[in-house]
Amino acid sequence: MNTSNQRPAQTEAEAAWQHCPWGLVAIGRDGKVCRVNPAFEYRTGTAAATVLGMSESDFDALFNSPLPDRRRFGQRRVETGDEALRAIYYFFHAPTDSDHDSQLVHIAERMREPLASIYGFAELLLTQNYDEDTRRDLTGTLMEQVEVISNVINEELDTRNSAIGPHATAPRFGGGGPQ
Amino acid sequence: MKKLLIVDDHAVIRQMICLALRDHFELEQFGDADSTYASLATSRPDGIVLDVMLPGSMSGYQLCQRIKSDPALASIHVVLVTARGQVADQEFGRALGADAYFIKPFSPVALVRHLTTALLSPSGAAATGSKESPLP
Repeated sequence: MNTSNQRPAQTEAEAAWQHCPWGLVAIGRDGKVCRVNPAFEYRTGTAAATVLGMSESDFDALFNSPLPDRRRFGQRRVETGDEALRAIYYFFHAPTDSDHDSQLVHIAERMREPLASIYGFAELLLTQNYDEDTRRDLTGTLMEQVEVISNVINEELDTRNSAIGPHATAPRFGGGGPQ
Repeated sequence: MKKLLIVDDHAVIRQMICLALRDHFELEQFGDADSTYASLATSRPDGIVLDVMLPGSMSGYQLCQRIKSDPALASIHVVLVTARGQVADQEFGRALGADAYFIKPFSPVALVRHLTTALLSPSGAAATGSKESPLP
């Protein structure tokens, strides 16, 4: 059974608007901001009352100003092709340089542990005389540590993808596209 | 034979360090700073190879600070071995009184050379305070 038929489409659209993780701003056919969603206020720290009724050119100028706190989010504009709305702006999380720096430090620290084992055991194998059983054990450990590094890389990529999620991609709906 | 404590929460790292040092020192292994510190009440090692990021209530930095600020323990040679390779981390370790700072990945042969010079050679005192560089 298709549950979507049990609820009015307008109610569903309203719920999606209210709970969308992207900040959404609607520009009416009169060229003015007619509606914003709660995520817009949260992401940008801007009260709805500040922008409602503002012309699109003023709105665009406000959110393309070079203030440092404007760099925490990215934005896209999508033409709707709708009778009631001219465009929708999407605001989404954009990692800062500081975010990237701490991620890199974290990854470096995780990678250095298995790298230390690989370098250390390789150097000992190269410079010390061990019996055949010990050499085989150490070689096995080297291979295991390479697998550890591979897992670290995969986990970090998975974490990064899930953390950024849809915010990394400009939303594309209907016939419109990012401007 | 002089005694060293090898403190690292990664068993593979402990195994590697012990393999490098076993012919030169009596070794005892620990996986955290709390149990290491508790052991100092009954046994006095000549040196500690100490990881910085450890589980439990105490980090390697904190254990180093406790050792170096206690007159009864301050003579223990402390080598910090850590994945934290930023300059600020090394300076912090130096400020706490660590005798050497090795950044992972490091050369176990260089670690052996440092510790045998510092603890086993007649001129060992001269080696105290040296700072090893990370790998090229």
